[in-house]
Amino acid sequence: MTALARLKSWEGLLLALLIVIVAANLANSPYYFGIGNIVNLFQLSIEKIIVALMMTLVIVNAEIDLSVASVMGLAACMMAFLFQLGVPLPLGILAGLAAGAVAGLINGFWVAYVGLPSLAVTLAGLIGFRGVARILVEDRSIGNYPGWFNVMGQQSVLGPLTLSIVVFIILFAVVAVVLHRSAVGRLVYVIGNNQLAARYSGVRVARLKLALFAASGTVAALAGILYAARLGSVRGDLAQGFELDIITIVLLGGVSIFGGSGSIAGVGLSILVILNLRNGMGLANVTGNTQTSVIGALLIASVLVPNMAQMITNKWRGRET
Amino acid sequence: MKRLVATTTALAMLALPTGALAQAMAKPGQAVSMVLLPKFLGISVFDQAHNGAVEAAKELQNPTELQFLGPTPENSVAGQIEIVTNAATQGVNAIMISNNSGDQIVPAVKAAHDKGMTVVTWDSPIPSAEGEDVFVAQVDFAETGKVMADMTLDILGADGGEFAILSASPDASNQNAWIAAMEEVLKDPKYAKLKQVDLVYGNDQSEESYNQALALVDKHPDLKLIMAPTTVGIAAASKAMLDEGLCDKVKVSGLGLPSEMVAYTMNGCAPQFALWSFTDLGYLTYYTAYMLATGAMKAEEGQQFNAGRMGDYTITKDPTRDAGLRVLMGPFSVYDKSNVEAAAK
Repeated sequence: MTALARLKSWEGLLLALLIVIVAANLANSPYYFGIGNIVNLFQLSIEKIIVALMMTLVIVNAEIDLSVASVMGLAACMMAFLFQLGVPLPLGILAGLAAGAVAGLINGFWVAYVGLPSLAVTLAGLIGFRGVARILVEDRSIGNYPGWFNVMGQQSVLGPLTLSIVVFIILFAVVAVVLHRSAVGRLVYVIGNNQLAARYSGVRVARLKLALFAASGTVAALAGILYAARLGSVRGDLAQGFELDIITIVLLGGVSIFGGSGSIAGVGLSILVILNLRNGMGLANVTGNTQTSVIGALLIASVLVPNMAQMITNKWRGRET
Repeated sequence: MKRLVATTTALAMLALPTGALAQAMAKPGQAVSMVLLPKFLGISVFDQAHNGAVEAAKELQNPTELQFLGPTPENSVAGQIEIVTNAATQGVNAIMISNNSGDQIVPAVKAAHDKGMTVVTWDSPIPSAEGEDVFVAQVDFAETGKVMADMTLDILGADGGEFAILSASPDASNQNAWIAAMEEVLKDPKYAKLKQVDLVYGNDQSEESYNQALALVDKHPDLKLIMAPTTVGIAAASKAMLDEGLCDKVKVSGLGLPSEMVAYTMNGCAPQFALWSFTDLGYLTYYTAYMLATGAMKAEEGQQFNAGRMGDYTITKDPTRDAGLRVLMGPFSVYDKSNVEAAAK
């Protein structure tokens, strides 16, 4: 790829956008550039961006997992429910993670082995897993966890970094290697591009899809438990509605909703763009409704601009011939 | 015009300590950066509180503009945490929070408080009081329970009957405290005929509250009254009963805004409801936070202070929580056909 082509790529566009946003933030607020704020910037959305990493793999594979936020809630509620019954917290955490893995396996089974569309299956999961979470916790708010659990969610463990941020960095590296440097990653793309062709070439499509959904569920569960640790208490609506923000991050990262294309670099840049934009608006005392609108406008533009550019190019070419 | 419940004032009098610190006066004109954080945006009572705070800011000639920042309703918990965290980053001097996230906000508030920020809660406190300097209570929470029980008895009459509570969110500590207080009051034999059959949450969303109100009627065929201690819930429940032609069978009461409730009170759907002035609450909260942040007074038991046009107040222990300090505003206004129209203007 030439330097020019790279600049024109989606990642190039995101990088340019990121530079503009960071520059605006630097000019606008003296508080922006500081270790504390940069850590907060990640920490305030850390659970969403952890889940977005796994979501990237799922979407590149031409599937979607709408149930992630409900799985986050399910895992945290499972943990809280058991803790309240007197089960030691570490066991509760393991049970929460297991619940996430099982939820992912259920999704994966219907998609991979029965052949139902993941949009429908995981939509059912979104409703069903949230239902179970609410049954477990009812209308209560369960707190008073041991000190180490709150420390795990709220305090730095490695230099200025919190445990959640460390988890994110490790997972980012793992996903990057799997997606771009491994045979499994190539299969994810191949299946995402053309599932039928992949199957006829002897790729074990179903097994890979099942594994991806199970991983998505497990990572969502981990994120849910980290979120519970950050908040210090759990209720049935924990992480409700997060799925849209998570999918938004992935799509803005240039991952095609039809599968088969996209890169982890794009998603990484998209994360930085959205987080810096939110943080900048927060420091500029922009209120909640406006923030939502600005991010919405950015997304609409991110869908429109490339498509319109394509249309214009096509028309231009049509005129030439 | 308004029927004032005298006991609230009496309670406030009782709370005056003996041999307390000297009365503190505000020192106007100091630059204090302050943030007013409502539960979320788009609720008119919070806008009224904002107006009251702006009025106090003008009076105190604070050259730094008051920031009124709130999350969107669907992002209330994470949004409040984000705003508190960003305020701490910016070195804001004082934040005034109507807490919507129970103790989930404690880690963020504690971090801000440790950095020297004054944290005043209003409308809805932090249940554990951790990281909070003082809570400005609109009314005495036990009194709220009594007013709710009395209105129920008044509307249903001596024969009583079944009623259900439609609250805000399960973690809204103000509503939870009022409901607990009401349940306590109901133990009195005077209220023996009143039977609470359900407690549901509309999360302060109009549509959800509307649907919950209708579901209550379906679930409990003998239901006579819906008690909604939230301005969103009471309006939504009243509309639901009106739309379904149920006003004769099921009455609505609770805490409501006269301007939103006037129609329902006049047509008999919601014969009685109560509230306090949110403008005054915003005003008093601003005074309290300003005086704490400028060092004109300390957040400790027995501290007396003067809050401009609203007069004198004292910081006391909060009897409604295990820990924490409180400034009690009060009193209640109960509205019915005789006074709601005037109050709605």
